[in-house]
Amino acid sequence: MSKLMTAKEAVAAYISDGAFLFIGGYVCRPPFAVIHEIIRQGRKGLTITRSNAADDFDMMIGAGVVDRFIGTFLSLGVYGLGRCYRRAMEKGIPHKIEVEEYTNLSLPMMLMAGAMGMPFVPVKDMLGTDLLNVRSFMGDRKYKLIDSPFDGSPTLLVPALKPDVGIIHVQQSDEQGNAQMWGIGGDCKAGANASEKVIVSCERVVSREVIGKDPSRTIVPSTKVVAVVEEPFGAHPGYTPGFYDVDFSFGYIYQQTSNSVDGFEAFMKEWVYDVKDRKAYIQHYIERFGFEAYHKLQADFDYGYPVSYAY
Amino acid sequence: MTTHPDDYIKPELMACCGAREIKDHDVVIVGTGFPTMSANIAKQIHAPNAILMQESGVLDARPKRTALSVGDPCLNPEAAMIGGLLDIMGMCLQGGLVDVGFLSGSQVDKFGNINTTVIGDYQRPKSRLPGSGGANPIGSLAKKTLIIALHDKRRLAERVDFITTPGYIDGPGARERCGLPPDTGPACIITNKAVLRFDKDLGVAYLASWHPDSSVDEIRENTPWDLDVVPDAQETEPPRTEELHAIREILDPHRMIKIYEQRGYV
Repeated sequence: MSKLMTAKEAVAAYISDGAFLFIGGYVCRPPFAVIHEIIRQGRKGLTITRSNAADDFDMMIGAGVVDRFIGTFLSLGVYGLGRCYRRAMEKGIPHKIEVEEYTNLSLPMMLMAGAMGMPFVPVKDMLGTDLLNVRSFMGDRKYKLIDSPFDGSPTLLVPALKPDVGIIHVQQSDEQGNAQMWGIGGDCKAGANASEKVIVSCERVVSREVIGKDPSRTIVPSTKVVAVVEEPFGAHPGYTPGFYDVDFSFGYIYQQTSNSVDGFEAFMKEWVYDVKDRKAYIQHYIERFGFEAYHKLQADFDYGYPVSYAY
Repeated sequence: MTTHPDDYIKPELMACCGAREIKDHDVVIVGTGFPTMSANIAKQIHAPNAILMQESGVLDARPKRTALSVGDPCLNPEAAMIGGLLDIMGMCLQGGLVDVGFLSGSQVDKFGNINTTVIGDYQRPKSRLPGSGGANPIGSLAKKTLIIALHDKRRLAERVDFITTPGYIDGPGARERCGLPPDTGPACIITNKAVLRFDKDLGVAYLASWHPDSSVDEIRENTPWDLDVVPDAQETEPPRTEELHAIREILDPHRMIKIYEQRGYV
């Protein structure tokens, strides 16, 4: 059965107000096309999670679609602190959000536990720090500190996370949702597999035969996938290995405009609200910055050696 | 004979201080900026077999341009291994493989605790900072942590507002009592004025060397705790000719390191 649909259809069908979302990406492959669609459709009260959040999470917080954030970090990378995140935390603009804080070890481990059906998982970080002194909406469920039943040593347990929907952007998928990714992974694989349902956004849809030529690259089995959305340039201004580079100039525009509420709103109007889908976004990008700028971001080809699975 | 040209800038000296902490065959987790520069100087000069990794999932990257984040596209082609956070932070770091971790902090205290979470009260933040990211696990689990900081009374503190990443917490034995692995913790704080090292019995940073245009008095004045000066404290060795050559000719021909001068590393 083909699960191909548009981002608009996928968001309308599978993301409801108040949902708990895992959103993959690590500069690499943020699923921006789907994120813009969530904002356009005006979802409310979302809980969002991933390790090392960036401009995409900052934008969702600024757009007011997020109530809760299970995170480790949020910044604009080379461009410094997340402006919308700061406004929400410091001034309650557009509204206060609740944040539960972990680390880039413990959060991926919690997603791994969720993916593997484990109720919780021991981790060796966070001990002795104020990260254990602050609790938000997870309350007592944020962590448990116990004496190890094996050797009595202090042991930190953190709970499994089971998001309602995982949203990832990958290089290619077939129509059933056998999603293939290569390059820096972040917590994408654990997060997608921890989720009840997965929306796969991809640069290109390929046949089942192509998937089968290099099956080790598949990171999520099709059984979990409810939607496959073909979105070329779908991670911009982030990058997708083998397809296009990070757009640092655009990142700078986001930082500059998001410095103020008015600037952020103007940015959102131009790049999200007044753009009906990713095709229109690309078109607007080319009109605004020229084809040369768009073309410059496209990756060179440097194919690896094909692998053989023959026996 | 070792020669020391005098036309270096402070960030170059700091990067060299970091490089000298790395031994051959060390496994090093790096962020961008100073950590990458230091680790690569070490690889060029005295630690050719050191292995660098980025928390995002990359081991032994061979970037053709300067990586601007630990998720930078240039880290992908030609790396020895690429996975994700679970591979690097889980298998490699929590698995006990990492010798050196490199961190910087908005606020660092005399125990080497680092704050990257909040300035002011946590519930009513004066300034909300990014959070831990990979810093806490690196500071918790790397055998040796190197800390980069600006040397003034705002960045250095008697106690940080919020312990995001553990140094020696509140003194000797605290790490072990909390359950952190033995023989881990900060080795030094490299600032724009000095190198501070840690007395493992006290868990407190002391002055090990002062940079050539600074002085013990100036450093003590700009340090918010009563900074101990060990008898064998000395002037920091300036960058050697071969270290500067590695930085300028091989690693950073576009001189991006100068950005750190604008950030106060002078």
